[in-house]
Amino acid sequence: MLQYFRNIWEGFWTPLVGLSMTWRKLFVPSVTMQYPEERWELPTNSRMQLFVNMDDCIGCLQCERACPVQCISIDTVKAIPDEVEETTTGHKKRLHVTKFDIDMVKCCYCDLCTFPCPTECIYMTPSFEDSSPDRYGLVYHFVNMTPQRAAELEEKARQFDAAEAARKAKASEKSATATA
Amino acid sequence: MTPEAIHDALQQYFGEAITAFDADAIDPTVTVEASAIHDVGAYLRSEPDMLFDSLMCLSGVDYGEAQNSLGVVYHLHSTALRHTITLRVEAPRQDGVVPTVCDIWRTAEWHEREAFDLFGMRFDRHPDHRRILLPDDWEGHPLLKDYQVQEFYQGIPVPYEGDPPEIGMDVYRFQDREDLA
Amino acid sequence: MCAMAGKPTGDVYRFQDSKGQWRTHRRPSHHQDGFRSGGPGISYERQGDDLILQMGPQHPSTHGVLRLEIVTDGELVKHITPHLGYLHRCFEKHAEAMTYPQVIPYADRMDYLSAMNQELAYVLAVEKLMGLKEFPERLEYIRVLMAELQRIASHLLAIGTYGLDVGAMTPFFWCVRDREKILDLFEWVSGARLLYNYLWIGGVAHDLPAGYTDKVMEFVTYFEPRVQELNDLLSSNKIFIERAASIGVLTAEDAISYGIGGPNLRGSGVKWDLRKEEPYGIYDRFDFDVPVGTGEFGVLGSAWDRYIVRVREMLESLKIIRQVVDQMPGSDPNEAMPRRIRPAKGEAYLRTESPRGELGFYLVSDGTEKPYRCKARSPCFTAISALNAMNHGGMLIADAVAVIGSLDIVLGEIDR
Repeated sequence: MLQYFRNIWEGFWTPLVGLSMTWRKLFVPSVTMQYPEERWELPTNSRMQLFVNMDDCIGCLQCERACPVQCISIDTVKAIPDEVEETTTGHKKRLHVTKFDIDMVKCCYCDLCTFPCPTECIYMTPSFEDSSPDRYGLVYHFVNMTPQRAAELEEKARQFDAAEAARKAKASEKSATATA
Repeated sequence: MTPEAIHDALQQYFGEAITAFDADAIDPTVTVEASAIHDVGAYLRSEPDMLFDSLMCLSGVDYGEAQNSLGVVYHLHSTALRHTITLRVEAPRQDGVVPTVCDIWRTAEWHEREAFDLFGMRFDRHPDHRRILLPDDWEGHPLLKDYQVQEFYQGIPVPYEGDPPEIGMDVYRFQDREDLA
Repeated sequence: MCAMAGKPTGDVYRFQDSKGQWRTHRRPSHHQDGFRSGGPGISYERQGDDLILQMGPQHPSTHGVLRLEIVTDGELVKHITPHLGYLHRCFEKHAEAMTYPQVIPYADRMDYLSAMNQELAYVLAVEKLMGLKEFPERLEYIRVLMAELQRIASHLLAIGTYGLDVGAMTPFFWCVRDREKILDLFEWVSGARLLYNYLWIGGVAHDLPAGYTDKVMEFVTYFEPRVQELNDLLSSNKIFIERAASIGVLTAEDAISYGIGGPNLRGSGVKWDLRKEEPYGIYDRFDFDVPVGTGEFGVLGSAWDRYIVRVREMLESLKIIRQVVDQMPGSDPNEAMPRRIRPAKGEAYLRTESPRGELGFYLVSDGTEKPYRCKARSPCFTAISALNAMNHGGMLIADAVAVIGSLDIVLGEIDR
């Protein structure tokens, strides 16, 4: 009998304790934010969209190899010696990067690609509001190069290689005759 | 008990059913004849100085076509006596049959279903021998090293078809965003 | 085969009860021969008046995409068959195509609510495989700090959603509010809020930022009174106790035999915590208790016991975090990071205490940079397999929802 009434009392009292707490919470400042108007300040190392600073990219393919989901695809063409530029970090750009695509739909935001980069030109930015109506709209092309220009560069590299090979062949011929 | 002592006891009791013992491995492993695994399990479970009451993990392994064997690895632990042993059985890749241990450790029931699902070895006397993670009408066992994915599953093409079509946007979005560059 | 003749094969269990006493149990004979579930597949008992109810795959209280085939007799549940695989991505096949560091993001995605613990388990398994043992002190402390913060975050969500499952709305909001604070801490250190890729093999992605431990202490002092608040609000609520304290009873012997670990096992009164029993990392240095269920408001091993173990574990985690912050040494955590991760031929199994139970990784290396076999032994997978053992005849359909909620399953980990 006593247990019966105690149960009833507890059934009333314990929810009341909870209700009093929720009432008290009505008078504390809210923790939610009105998102598009108010914004949270993100930490500087937030990992959102990838960005590549193409001025510094030397086309070493380290990031492409590190990616677990193969979302980076890079094409390179050998640069002829006159065209070799230097990055801001002092690396020689011995390759023209003709294609540097990142498919942000596939990207798993793991940050593994940024660590092996020798020139620290690929990094993640705190921008998270990119969206697209179709699934290919989030394929970012970081290289602004027409196919014609790429073909031109390839042709140039090929000609340079051919010239170099011819020069080498001639030199070896000459040395062969000299030794003979 | 040390793994060596456990192996010696098993060797004494089961004789030729214990085929190998690797004491130098990271987890010392006893290799058991496939047909004897249920008896070995029951012995390890009930013997007063063994009391392996928990099967930590049951995993299938494909040792490749060269060895022509599928393996099942049992990691056992005794919560009472605090010792650990690893058992391994091997079965041929085609029509390999391993007796079930799920009447000894109930956790083996689903782990054996998983091993069957992903590797295709049969567990004899298993009460509910079905696929568990893949659909019932899936073809093949995906964790085999020579697994070829089926072309269609219920009319849906399965393999991923290469690169996306070249309709990517030729707008260079990042470059007109000074706030990021 | 006949070697066993004359040898009793009784099912003897020894386990430690909540008072630390060793007890021996013999499995009842009806457990020994055959299974309660009957024949293969779903063909049993379909005739007659039974109704087969498909719960899921899209159902709010299955905590993911899980389908339960419930054989009901009126309101009573006769049998539950879980059908898995709706979230199957074949983590293990993926892992065979990845190098060892590349698997870490995939391990994150197994149990997305406790990604740090998944990383820790995987990383420790690879280190065991490589034979690495000496690490900078700071690295060890960072690992423990992250694992315990993640444990609190994970338990908060488990408690909140369990309240939601049985009809209590407010605790969910409060739990998520506090969990956000932990996620902010994680975002600050790793850059991501949910899937961190932070703990690496032999190192971490970034060292802790300056002032991090102060923020952690700020959180700890903020959070400790919140646990009491949660207890007042939900744990001691009579309606909640009446709802949860007598359903889904999992006996200790069933729990051990089904390989259940973590709060689900401790809720059944078994004092078993891998952080105490097989201390990995530096867990042996910390002083904390292992809360176990006591059955104070009903039957031992009930849903309420599993729930309250989680609540009390958060306080223990706070205790560990305090000690970590006090003892945190200053040095470079990445001193001993191996350059090339190429374990020698061999295999290793390592298990850790994740918030959901015993999480193990079984790795086989063939001497290359990619694992030959990577098996994840997931705690939720075993927990959901014991669903039928919790039905002692009186389970109602609505209880099924409450029982699944108390198991704290994450389908990403079950299906892998």
